[in-house]
Amino acid sequence: MAGGSLGDKIGLKEELIKKACGLAFKAHKPPEKIYRYEKFQISQETYHVFSFSGSWDAAEWFVNKPFGETKIDLALFPSLRSIGNDEAALVNEGFAKRFDNIWKTTSIKSEVNKAMVDGRQVVFTGHSSGAAMAILATFWALENYLNQIKNQSHKPPFCVTFGSPLIGNHIFSHASRRENWSRYFIHFVLRYDIVPRILLAPFSSIEQTFGSILQFLNPKSKTSTQDSTRASVISDFYSTVMRNAASVTSHAACILMGSTNLLLETVANFVDLSPYRPFGTYVFCNGKGQLIVVKNSDAVLQLLFHTAQLSNLAELPQVADDSISQHLVYETELGVSLIKQNVEDLEQLEELPLSADGSNSDVATRISAALDGLGLSTRARLCLRAAGELEKRKRRNEEKIINEIKKKGEASMGDLETYKTTCEVHKGKGYYDAFKVQKEANDFQANVKRLELAGVWDEVIEMLKRYELPDEFEGDPKWIQLGTSFRRLVEPLDIANYYRHLKNEDTGPYMARARPKRYRYTQRWLEQAKREPKSDVTESTFWAEVEELFGWINSKKPFEDVRERVLQLEQDLIKWTDRGELTKDTFLKDPNFIKWWEILPQEHKATSHIATIVKG
Amino acid sequence: MNMVPDEASPFETSEMLATFLASTPLLSESWRLCTTVAATAPRSFMTEQRGGVVYVAFPGVEMAVGSDSSWRNLVPLDSIGDVPLFSVRRNKEGDGPVMVHAGMLNLFLSFFEPFRNQMLAIMGNTNTKSIVITGHSIGGATASLCALWLLSYLHHISSSVSVSVSVLCITFGSPMLGNGSFSRAILRERWGGNFCHVVSKHDIMPRLLFAPITPFTAQLNFLLQFWQLCMTAPGFGKLVVPISDQQKELFNFVMSYLDAATQDGEGSAPILFHPFGSYLFVSSEGAVCVDSSTAVVKMMHLMFASGSPACSVEDHLKYGEYVKKLSLQFLNQKNSMQGNIPDSSYEAGLELAIQSSGLANQELAIEPTKECLKMTRRMGPSPTKNAANLARTLSKVVPYRAEIEWYKVWCDQQVDQMGYYDLFKRRRSTSKMVMKVNMNRHKLARFWNNVIDMLERNELPHDVAVRAKWVNASHFYELLVEPLDIAEYYGKGMHTTKGHYIHHGRERRYEIFDRWWKDTMATAEENSERSKFASLTQDSCFWARVEEAREWLNSVRSESDTSKLAVLWDNIEKFEKYALELIDNKEVSQDVLAKNSSYSIWVEDLRGLRELRAKVKRFPHHFNPFLDGEVIP
Repeated sequence: MAGGSLGDKIGLKEELIKKACGLAFKAHKPPEKIYRYEKFQISQETYHVFSFSGSWDAAEWFVNKPFGETKIDLALFPSLRSIGNDEAALVNEGFAKRFDNIWKTTSIKSEVNKAMVDGRQVVFTGHSSGAAMAILATFWALENYLNQIKNQSHKPPFCVTFGSPLIGNHIFSHASRRENWSRYFIHFVLRYDIVPRILLAPFSSIEQTFGSILQFLNPKSKTSTQDSTRASVISDFYSTVMRNAASVTSHAACILMGSTNLLLETVANFVDLSPYRPFGTYVFCNGKGQLIVVKNSDAVLQLLFHTAQLSNLAELPQVADDSISQHLVYETELGVSLIKQNVEDLEQLEELPLSADGSNSDVATRISAALDGLGLSTRARLCLRAAGELEKRKRRNEEKIINEIKKKGEASMGDLETYKTTCEVHKGKGYYDAFKVQKEANDFQANVKRLELAGVWDEVIEMLKRYELPDEFEGDPKWIQLGTSFRRLVEPLDIANYYRHLKNEDTGPYMARARPKRYRYTQRWLEQAKREPKSDVTESTFWAEVEELFGWINSKKPFEDVRERVLQLEQDLIKWTDRGELTKDTFLKDPNFIKWWEILPQEHKATSHIATIVKG
Repeated sequence: MNMVPDEASPFETSEMLATFLASTPLLSESWRLCTTVAATAPRSFMTEQRGGVVYVAFPGVEMAVGSDSSWRNLVPLDSIGDVPLFSVRRNKEGDGPVMVHAGMLNLFLSFFEPFRNQMLAIMGNTNTKSIVITGHSIGGATASLCALWLLSYLHHISSSVSVSVSVLCITFGSPMLGNGSFSRAILRERWGGNFCHVVSKHDIMPRLLFAPITPFTAQLNFLLQFWQLCMTAPGFGKLVVPISDQQKELFNFVMSYLDAATQDGEGSAPILFHPFGSYLFVSSEGAVCVDSSTAVVKMMHLMFASGSPACSVEDHLKYGEYVKKLSLQFLNQKNSMQGNIPDSSYEAGLELAIQSSGLANQELAIEPTKECLKMTRRMGPSPTKNAANLARTLSKVVPYRAEIEWYKVWCDQQVDQMGYYDLFKRRRSTSKMVMKVNMNRHKLARFWNNVIDMLERNELPHDVAVRAKWVNASHFYELLVEPLDIAEYYGKGMHTTKGHYIHHGRERRYEIFDRWWKDTMATAEENSERSKFASLTQDSCFWARVEEAREWLNSVRSESDTSKLAVLWDNIEKFEKYALELIDNKEVSQDVLAKNSSYSIWVEDLRGLRELRAKVKRFPHHFNPFLDGEVIP
């Protein structure tokens, strides 16, 4: 934790940060340009910097009430979602529209493309709402040039923002950590700067003065600081934003701290709580030359509120004024801070010192001083500890699951492998049919194993639904691999069980109505990792398709209606066996498959792709 | 289960929750409307829309404290209007009847009609999603009863209409309202989070009913009138509190009963009225929010003990000041704590809570307050963790269920062709398999009973009852295993002493699972037709119905009273029709139709009896004597 320059801690040279800051502010100035593209050199390395100007029009901040958020365009940002839960991130609609417009109407896309393809170090930067554009541009570049299956020679772009507003919900943080992109986003925030807090308030609460506030915040604007109403407008604005920030953060803190009082949930239904959350790496400037680095999104949220609180009510006019003026002084402030190099990393949040006097180590004393420098009370420090505890708890949850998988999962998987082989080799029939018939003791044993495994995996899914596992979980190759082999081996048994009990007649087709989440989730993990589109029938679910098609044709419904599906299935079967995701024995000898093949119309079978392998 | 130390909640949250509440506009808006209604409509109530929230406020009407006992008189309360208040099943559990304060109930009933009409109009005409019901003083009790009706009403119609209206009741200095059963019933319905009672540090009103205050009726009337005057008069709050000796006596009297009620261990005196819902204790230093009934009583005591007769009266009128102060609290970091801050997060949180409850300078109260807040600390794992552990246990007990399934299939293949219900019912053999099945049955029952207990103790996340995993698992369990429970019941002849299974022997868990299933299935589409018999009979009580039908059939043979006979035949035919319908829809599993199953035998018997009856009709005189049961076995 100790020592080290900011550059070492966040992987960016101080000179670059200073330069980026200058460019971020220059972007606002005439000539009016929505973005600028500049190249410059710092000790041998050339940087390609895209800087974005801000918008000072209230309508571009809040498109609708109460918070102006919308689902992100997954076509543009396919990774900005929670994979298993299949939940798209929410983004500020105004910012998203502005970005869309830049992308469609300017040549930036091709410029970024050229720089990335040429292997340049690209940096996106912006101040105020310009920062929001830089963030989205960075995500776009990461999506297109940095995913695992594409060329590795591209340099990851960096995003450096100054006084950025919040732009999206918790999924921004979740997804960027999963994709290991979090470290490319560096947000500088001055202690009292109001802009990073504005979106914690519903628009209706600030609607009346927001227009004039934006003019105060606009570096280009000519409004006089001597305006007589300015002080009261600013003071009201600051108080309103802080009141809403207090609601959001204390609500989040109650959850972090594990409150079980039912009142918490009820009250949350009565107030508009902002969905916006910070993500990436935050660097707080305390105004006295010290920089504090925080990476935990929950902790950053708490800091956004607590660092801007008053220490006594008399401070109100001064702090309110700072909340506006600090938005405009990043260049000077960073100029000082980056020379001083007084940098503190806040890690191991769950062990943060609550007070200076209680600590006996140098590190704790130093950290405590840094927390004092941001004006963090005992209450605030408890909130940070709670954020740290949550992160720790998520890691513990993952460890528990690993143990569970080792203890039970692996053995059960082994047993089912053996079961599958036994059925295929000794009975020559395939395990799908054997399991569906459930005639012998080992079929029963296999069912017990299936249920055991289902228990373990269902628990994983429950935790993912509540974001109780580390954000990296769904992107971890180890888990993707475990999930995939589980799905391929066991899902056919679930399907067999489903059609054995004729549950399709109660509930409908397996795929549409009854497929357990443990398979839906694990399939999505693999699709995301391979950047493949969602497929309806997979190597683990083709049995359901066989059953449904058999039911259709067997009940004398017209073959024409399902011809496409049959053709698709046949093609897929070949694809899967070629790729080694499926072995021919698994289906070719299976009575269910044979029955299905037999009722297909002769004229179809004659030309079928799989005719040759079926005849063997 | 071993208690792992790190599973106790590492944070004290009563103060953070209060901070959250204080940062919302709910308290100040509620109080504002309370003062408006007191000044402008002291005999009625007011509604007002603020943002998306409708506020309803009741005035603190003075209540005639007439006859000697009416201040402590409790009356039972099961329904308001035509809406039953708590689910029926609650009453089975040996808890005494739910009772509330008679006077306050009467007062509420005088508001009820117009209140109901207005609520129905509000919910019908606008897209109101949230309603706050509030009241000061006795108005708080009215507000609580109104909220209770609204919650019951919404619950009542929820099976037919889908409405999602949030209800929150916020009272200021409300007297207590109901007995222990009342408080527990609200807890079990999971409505504790819909009530937030704001109680100031010294206010005597919320504490009055701990004491048998009948001897102080005159004093009480005087107090109520005084408060009433202060609330309605324009110069409200400026009046000097008249402190008489009697007033001091009343204070000491209430104090002594609070002392007695909060004695540790066996020594504590029973109390008639119990707190319910959450309490927000406010002081000029801040606030803490507590929801355990025992902790609430202790906090009431500790805070009251730090006051005086004069402030116990004044404080009832000072909610405006407290609320104002609280609502500005967010701006300012509260003064940093003095002295050493403990390094444990939990202990530090306790210190903050002590500070916010305004007891930091009451040396003697600090330790007891800490003890009291510690009682509310969650010592076991968190609800989500419990759910995860339970999921793991479920995966361990599921093989038991699979073994029973296996047994069922095995039974279907036996030569006696009876099916698993009858084989299990008549089991004489002590074969290993049957013993194992019986053991599994008990293990599963234990598991599922535990799930329900944990849910009702608030140890599981609220949505367990609608999570597909739990609903499906419990439903499957019920369909498979309940027939065995029924077999056990009739096999052991328990119906002869206790009565039939469905009404007298059915375990509560099955009724609960039925409701879970019904609630989640309400949204599912209608089933399509079945082509084969279901693998499990879809009515888990089918066999119990067969047993009842069999008894009717036997009674028919011995019954001579024609009107009783008619009833029996009617019942029999109804069941016959019901069963045929199930079979037609293939909603029974094949064991029902096994050649020697109870059902098949019943069908045979019925046919025999019908033939006999047909003959009797043809030769009435000849055959009559036989009908007295001599011939037919």
